[in-house]
Amino acid sequence: MESQIDLVYEDIRGKANAKLIRFIGDLDATNVETVLEKVCSLLNEGINNLVADFQKLRYVNSTGLGILLHFSKSAKEKGGSFKIANINENVYEIIEIIGATSLLEIYDELDEAIAALD
Amino acid sequence: MMRINIKEVKTTQNAVILHFSGELNSDSISEISDSFNKLESFNRNFAIADMTEVSLISSAALGELMGARKRLVEKGGDLVLAGLKIEIRTKLNLMGATKIFRIFSDNRSALNAYKWQIERNPEMVHVTFPPYLEIVPPLRQLISRIAKFKGYSNKDSFRIETIVDEVCNNAVEHGKQGNDQKVDLKMNIDPKKIELDVINMSDPDKMDSLKALLKPREGGQEVQSDNKRGRGLALIKMLTDELTVDCSEKGTSVHIKKVREE
Repeated sequence: MESQIDLVYEDIRGKANAKLIRFIGDLDATNVETVLEKVCSLLNEGINNLVADFQKLRYVNSTGLGILLHFSKSAKEKGGSFKIANINENVYEIIEIIGATSLLEIYDELDEAIAALD
Repeated sequence: MMRINIKEVKTTQNAVILHFSGELNSDSISEISDSFNKLESFNRNFAIADMTEVSLISSAALGELMGARKRLVEKGGDLVLAGLKIEIRTKLNLMGATKIFRIFSDNRSALNAYKWQIERNPEMVHVTFPPYLEIVPPLRQLISRIAKFKGYSNKDSFRIETIVDEVCNNAVEHGKQGNDQKVDLKMNIDPKKIELDVINMSDPDKMDSLKALLKPREGGQEVQSDNKRGRGLALIKMLTDELTVDCSEKGTSVHIKKVREE
């Protein structure tokens, strides 16, 4: 059985080809493929401006971090971006230890991340 | 009438059980005092007052116990209460004594607390599980909760959860698969550190990928955004104080030491 993770999508008012994705639960080796499939299908539909709200993302491991880096790279290649906001301290520490803070677009607040969309 | 039996606990360096019975009232004070004086001759300063057969503790007797506790604490020991009847516990609570004495449901719980806090004896958890990724999340959460329950901070417990997750995922992914296979996890936890040993059987077909994983990367910890995997070991190294990986055709064993930080 996979770890519990829910992705809740919301439109972002006034922003074309954009979605807010709220990550709720744990992102780990048991559910990365499911999450990868869901987010990549958005990118393939042309929704390439993504804002991830991590307020309720309790846990991420190295495999989960790997797909976050993949989303960021794929979104950029398609002319968009993958921005992250509201990261809890523990999750941020994992990203920091891996040395990925400079590879990901990280914002303190959701509003800031949305405002930074092109 | 009150009676006190003093019993040394041979499996400990320093603990003694005082088994009280009857009513602890103003007539009992000198006997209580004498009993605690005897502890000095035993050279033991951690006392468990077994109250299972006590029907009353008066405020005067309570005062005497508080004085005895104070003297033991000054010597680096303690006096804890075990097996209190509910009505006595309620009364002690109303008198504010439960803020002073540590209270345990029975002698065994009190002794475990003593061994953990005073003798700093490690406790061990041993789990054997089949090599399936789905087993890892509940296992990592269990270990994290044990660490938290043992007084480790949220941050340390989260780091331990991450270490267990990464080590066990590697054991499953790079080890031998199948229903007849197993991964062995042992954790020794004490108030200052956690040591983990994870052992799995090697899969000859995966030896090359495992050796590549263990090979130090050129360019230090630099990450590449196009790789989805392969960062687990780097993360483990950064989160632990000691990491030893022993890899052979027979099996892989990982030993980790994580010192408590907060």
